[in-house]
Amino acid sequence: MLIFSVFKTLTDQQVTVELKNDLSITGVLKSVDQFLNIRLDNIKVSDEARHPHMMAVKNCFIRGSVVRYVQLPAEHVDTQLLEDATRREAVSQAKR
Amino acid sequence: MSFFGLQQTDLEQDKRKFLESGLHESEDVAVYTWGEDSYDGLGDALQEGGDELNDETFGGSGAVGKDFDFSNPALPEDKRVSHDAPQVKREQSVDKEPHQHQQPSSLRPSQPSRSTAHSLEAIWDDKSPFSVLPRMNSTSRASPAPSAKFSPFASETFSNAGQQSVLHKSNQPQPRVRTLQEIEAEMLQQRSAAQRQQEVLLQQRHHEEEHIRLAQEQELQRQQRIYQQEQQQLQIHRLLQQQREQQQHMRTPPPRMLPVSQSPRFLEHQRQILLLQQQQEQQQQQRLQELQEQLRFEEIERQMVAQMTLQQNPNQYASRRAVPNLTSPENQVLQHQQLQRRQRSQSPVTGSNITPIQDNMSYLPQNIQLQQRLLSEMTQAEYMRDIQGASQAEQEALRAEAMRKIVEAEKMEEKRRRKAAKIAHMARYNDLMTQSDKDFITRIQVSQLVTQDPYADDFYAQVYGAILRSRMGLQSQDERVIKFGSGGGIGLGLAQKGGNRRPNAMQRMEQQVERIVSNARKREEEKGLHSLHSLQGALGKTSGRSYKAAPRQLLQVDASNPSASPTISPAHAHISKSSNINESAAKEAAKLGREALGTAADTDNLVRKEPLTQREVLIILERLYDIVLRVEQLRRDQPLPEDDESSREWQKEYDSLVDELWVELRVMVPLETSHPHPFISLLTPTKGKKILPRLTRHLSSERMLTLLTLLVACFSQLDVIRQASVLDSNEDSREHADVERQTQAFLGSVMQSILPHVSNASLRLVTGLLGLLLDRSNIAAIAQSKPGLALLTLFLSRVEVIKQTSGSELAEIPSSEEQLQWQTMFDHLFELLAPYFIYLFPSTRAPIVVPPGHSNPADIADQPVWQFLAALALHAVIEQHQVLVTSLREKVLDIILSVNKGWVASEEERQTKLANVNLFLHALGLDSSQVAL
Repeated sequence: MLIFSVFKTLTDQQVTVELKNDLSITGVLKSVDQFLNIRLDNIKVSDEARHPHMMAVKNCFIRGSVVRYVQLPAEHVDTQLLEDATRREAVSQAKR
Repeated sequence: MSFFGLQQTDLEQDKRKFLESGLHESEDVAVYTWGEDSYDGLGDALQEGGDELNDETFGGSGAVGKDFDFSNPALPEDKRVSHDAPQVKREQSVDKEPHQHQQPSSLRPSQPSRSTAHSLEAIWDDKSPFSVLPRMNSTSRASPAPSAKFSPFASETFSNAGQQSVLHKSNQPQPRVRTLQEIEAEMLQQRSAAQRQQEVLLQQRHHEEEHIRLAQEQELQRQQRIYQQEQQQLQIHRLLQQQREQQQHMRTPPPRMLPVSQSPRFLEHQRQILLLQQQQEQQQQQRLQELQEQLRFEEIERQMVAQMTLQQNPNQYASRRAVPNLTSPENQVLQHQQLQRRQRSQSPVTGSNITPIQDNMSYLPQNIQLQQRLLSEMTQAEYMRDIQGASQAEQEALRAEAMRKIVEAEKMEEKRRRKAAKIAHMARYNDLMTQSDKDFITRIQVSQLVTQDPYADDFYAQVYGAILRSRMGLQSQDERVIKFGSGGGIGLGLAQKGGNRRPNAMQRMEQQVERIVSNARKREEEKGLHSLHSLQGALGKTSGRSYKAAPRQLLQVDASNPSASPTISPAHAHISKSSNINESAAKEAAKLGREALGTAADTDNLVRKEPLTQREVLIILERLYDIVLRVEQLRRDQPLPEDDESSREWQKEYDSLVDELWVELRVMVPLETSHPHPFISLLTPTKGKKILPRLTRHLSSERMLTLLTLLVACFSQLDVIRQASVLDSNEDSREHADVERQTQAFLGSVMQSILPHVSNASLRLVTGLLGLLLDRSNIAAIAQSKPGLALLTLFLSRVEVIKQTSGSELAEIPSSEEQLQWQTMFDHLFELLAPYFIYLFPSTRAPIVVPPGHSNPADIADQPVWQFLAALALHAVIEQHQVLVTSLREKVLDIILSVNKGWVASEEERQTKLANVNLFLHALGLDSSQVAL
């Protein structure tokens, strides 16, 4: 739930989603759910020449399972808090 | 030939007999071919349009005897056939036509021949019920004038009359003089005949009218039908076109997108319409036939009556008078009249005699049909011409215009169609899910997010939101958590930017989810099974691992195996299988024993150890973090002070956790245990430095003082001090950046955490700390590092504060002895630092060649040094001032000169330089403006 929690704080921020098919989409994060499905708005594909079919696409819904990386805006992430949250999660996981 | 339902032998016999009679010279043999074997059946093959009126026209709908027709020379066999076989009326009527036309020619000359041709045998052989009639017919034909039908004299029998007439006919072939009686009878007859004629004419006209009306009606209906059919065809055509287009656009329409109009149902409908029309047609024809039948029956009746009267009357006359004078003009006229009348009076339905009128009658509907068809064709052609704009030359321009318009319209239509198709294609899954379906799934989804501790599970978002709110100066008006009465809840993350977008919807969803959760709980209680997870995976698995949505971890650290010893890393066994475990274990055991003896370790008992390894440090730090997090969580969950028991319990737990924290920090480990000290080792990583402020919050001031003392005592062991020289180089290396980062972290975290304690420290403590620092480390080296300089400045400024504040405000007024001690310590510090004053400046240690026009970062880096020197100057006595000025004279003059000469890149740099110098000079009681160059 940590990542979900983190993404919740990143709504309306610009993120870059790298998909497993090497497609890299930059857009405003509109919503995310517990499956880490992502809804992006105002998207732009990093390598448009290679993916001309994405030029007309303005928003998209990305299935969580096809995401490889999500580049987060550093200024909107509290690293120490994220570390803490990770620790908390690790602890709660250990309890289970 | 069984074709007409007749016995072949009979017909043949008749024919043979007839031929044998030798009176066939004048007969047209062709007349009989229809009944022969050689009959080619062309009649059957005839394909004519407008056949539906044939029955009416030719009167084939019923058997009507023409036996009464005296003037008709048609063969009796012929008649008989027509009566016997009404089912073949159509063929018959067609076949009859030729010899009917021939009839008039063969009529009069061959008058007498017929009767003689008939033998009694033949008559008896005839099975037709009307077989007797032709005989009479033939006999009566010879009679000069058929009597009126309504003659009052009618008493003699049928057969008698026939016989008599036969005799009479054969006996009197010549005309003769008429008697008065005859004339009288004739006149009477004429009168009645006229009456009858009128009547018949009236009836006929009526019939005709009706017939015309019917024909017209039919024609109208036909037209309508044709129009309808055309319309339908057009419609079908259009639909087909549409279908084709749609098919072109939608290769795979989903089931519900199939247009209803194209469905087989539609075709069925069309078929039904056609069927209905056919039925109507049939009904109409049936009605017509019925009408015709009725008419025919009437006619038959009439004819029967007429015949009866005729038979009676002529017989009477014949018996009384001589043979009528057939050749007389009057008679001729009469006969002709009668013939005509007969022919006319013969209802058209009988059809065997086609009079001109009847001919016309039969033509009429056909004509109309033809005309209509022609007309429709013409209009169609015209229409086509209009559409295509083909033929007319003067319409060229119009045509071009029309074409252009059509093309335009077609284009637009095409565009529109494509758009519609696209929309249809996109919309084909519209409303596959109803709103309630969506709500249901949303509720399932949300219900899966419900946890026992929504705050902890949504920790990051909650804390981040709180930090953000506090940073923005907002009141933390609400925790972004939906809490349910049952204890569960959902973390909502950050508040939406749009504010309470849909508070109602939120509330509704909240209620719904709570219901789902409570229902699941109830079910769980009922079943006693893990049915709360009945919906688990209903929307798909979140992740292969146990925890929701967590990515697969690269490090599989088994944290569930707690180590017996707090020092032995639980991860040791898992991460590192190094051979030194056993050795270190022995040392650990020794250390454990020492720790058990008490923290007040005497140096005799000291067990020297290897310093903590990097891994050990990290593991200990992680444990510290876990404890800190637990403590922080515990503080958040602090019960209300009123609740004594839970408060006590909480306090107990809290204290134990803080104790654990303290032990883990290893502050109480003897100073000489290792170099660096374990505590200093813990401060080496960034996260070790960063944990200190969070940790020290929970420590008591005594423990903090101990910590501070340890830190100062081991200050030189700190990584930031040891590696401070790295910062003096200007190389842009990773090491440089790393040290820079560590230094910043130390200043930001460690110094910040000890600052409040130092700034509250007594003079004695500060003196002691300074003494410790001077005693245990190379003060020159420390002073040449940023953290060291910061610490020294901190001490000096604290003492300055103590000095300046009056005694009442301080908790303990520093005694003169303490002041003396401080002064001694300060003097010592000054002495130690005096040779290195100029080297305190980073700019001196590492002169930076700054290209002109760029602001010198050295000025900013030098600032803390100037601050320290200023603080030093405040405490210094006159002699010390002189030392300071002497050692720093060049530096100060250099700066002032560069400022005055304008060797600065910007006003900002000039001010920074001046401020730096003035900071120091002011402490000496001077100002940069007083400095004489």
